[in-house]
Amino acid sequence: MDVATRPTVDVPASPATAVPSRRRLARRPTPGAAWLLVAPSLVVLVALLGYPLGWMIVLSFQRMSLRQLITGTAPPWVGLDNYTRTLTDPFFWHVVARTVVFTVVAVVLSIGVGLLVALLMRRVSTWVRLAMIVAMLFVWAMPRLVSTQVFKWLVDADFGVVNWLIDRLPGVDFHEHSWFISPVQGFVVITAVVLWGAIPFLAITLHAGMSQVPKELEEAATVDGASSAQVFRHVTLPILRPLIVIVTTLSVIWDMQVFEQIWVMRDTKPEQDYFTLGIYSYVQSFSRSNYSLGSAIAVLTVLLMLGVMAFYIRRMFQMGELD
Amino acid sequence: MAGAARGVGARLATGAFNAVGIGFAVVMAFPVYWMINTAFKPVNEVQTFTPKFLPDHPTLDNFFSALHAPHFVDDLKNSLLITAASVVLSLVVGFLGALAIARFQFYGRRAYITAILLVQMVPFNAVVIPLFLMLNRAQLTDTLPGVILTYLVFVLPYTVWTLRGFISNVPRELDEAALVDGCTRWQTFWRIILPLTAPGLVATSIYGFIQAWNEFIIVNTLTSSPDKQTLMVWLASNQTLRGTTWGPLMAGATLTSLPVVVFFLIIQKNIATGLTAGAVKG
Repeated sequence: MDVATRPTVDVPASPATAVPSRRRLARRPTPGAAWLLVAPSLVVLVALLGYPLGWMIVLSFQRMSLRQLITGTAPPWVGLDNYTRTLTDPFFWHVVARTVVFTVVAVVLSIGVGLLVALLMRRVSTWVRLAMIVAMLFVWAMPRLVSTQVFKWLVDADFGVVNWLIDRLPGVDFHEHSWFISPVQGFVVITAVVLWGAIPFLAITLHAGMSQVPKELEEAATVDGASSAQVFRHVTLPILRPLIVIVTTLSVIWDMQVFEQIWVMRDTKPEQDYFTLGIYSYVQSFSRSNYSLGSAIAVLTVLLMLGVMAFYIRRMFQMGELD
Repeated sequence: MAGAARGVGARLATGAFNAVGIGFAVVMAFPVYWMINTAFKPVNEVQTFTPKFLPDHPTLDNFFSALHAPHFVDDLKNSLLITAASVVLSLVVGFLGALAIARFQFYGRRAYITAILLVQMVPFNAVVIPLFLMLNRAQLTDTLPGVILTYLVFVLPYTVWTLRGFISNVPRELDEAALVDGCTRWQTFWRIILPLTAPGLVATSIYGFIQAWNEFIIVNTLTSSPDKQTLMVWLASNQTLRGTTWGPLMAGATLTSLPVVVFFLIIQKNIATGLTAGAVKG
């Protein structure tokens, strides 16, 4: 325990000592030890994720329906049938377009607002910043399902407080206004929940990132006559860029998978006008028992996201290697 | 810092920014406040055309009717059980993996890290189809172990990735000093690495708790009997019984969020750094 209480910071981590020690450590333990440590997690991941993922691809080439599920007989192979059916269906492309538009709008809004809030946090007095952070932490902690139900209640046609507030505006009649008859308005509410839930993480992370920007740099720029907009554009933003890239990729991945917000907002039975790729694949599988068609849509969704995912992984990998 | 005029201008600007900041905090907090406000109102005050911003006659009735609602207590127990089991399992399995990538150079290390990161991206509502079929075949659908196993995979990658960070923060020199002093590898682990990463273990397990507690899609798909489900499914299905009774629903929502909020406030800092580790320094 003596060793354990020693502060960890005072150990010099100069490259001169780090390199030989790493090599020594690499040689001493048998490689078997490392594999033994990794084995349990690998087994879990392969059995419960790798295998299902592989099966999902196989399924998408078969025709698995309720009958096979109940009788346990092997589903027949249908080749590319599920894919051609999906890709030639205009409805599928509507869903793709809706998913992409939703993702772009939600990501642009959340990153934009997140940056603005982070900047605002630097300009306000300490107590205001504290109030902002406390409010955001509570929002951040809310389960998605809870916040969706709360928003649903806020915009309730009969007694929703938001309807009442909008109704106060002169010349607007929002009494008994239902937001979900028009999918566009419905998606406004859905985007609002997503945005509301996303801002805390983004604003707090970006604010933390901004405080890492060396003060001297910004002061030097100010002394040299840069306006605060110029300081942000030419000093803060370039240093913040890697962080913005990461949170944007994460937001794309999250928003593209949006599910609970739509599912619960539409009483667990979303209308076709509310289908995004996630919902579409789920409904095909579990409401219509077209497990194969659902898998094909899921595979196509993953392919659509693959570029973004690969990018994120490369970035995280580079950072992980550094420490 | 400059003249007096500049000082006044700066103060005015801060005042304006403060006003915007407070406005933002109010808008953000409003839904949370409204949830709690509704939870404490009697029925006739919930359903008013002119909303009441504070309950006239605050009551705990909604909380009692939530607690006595069908399956609330069952689902609460299930939530606790599933969450605890999956977190403990993922900590044990994840710590070993994290130790390997933080302390060993081995063939396949890079592939393993890639797999861990990749898994975090996998859209779970896609994999839920084969997972359901697989667990169905193993007769594990509609059982708690089925959900626990699935949550283990779901929490594991983050656990490995964050613990790796905590372990790398323990200087290797400490391990080496212990080895030189005659500790075995096992003792080094038990006496040095484990105590020094204890705060990390706490933070990681709380994050896992939140993840598992909040999960909805998987448990909603894998389970069908109301007494095998969790609070999240209870919250989602409550509305379809006979219209929506907002009072008890908001009381249930408040109760459901309570443990997560408390835990979340404790470890908030780690979550942010875990997701974007080193982004600025790098």
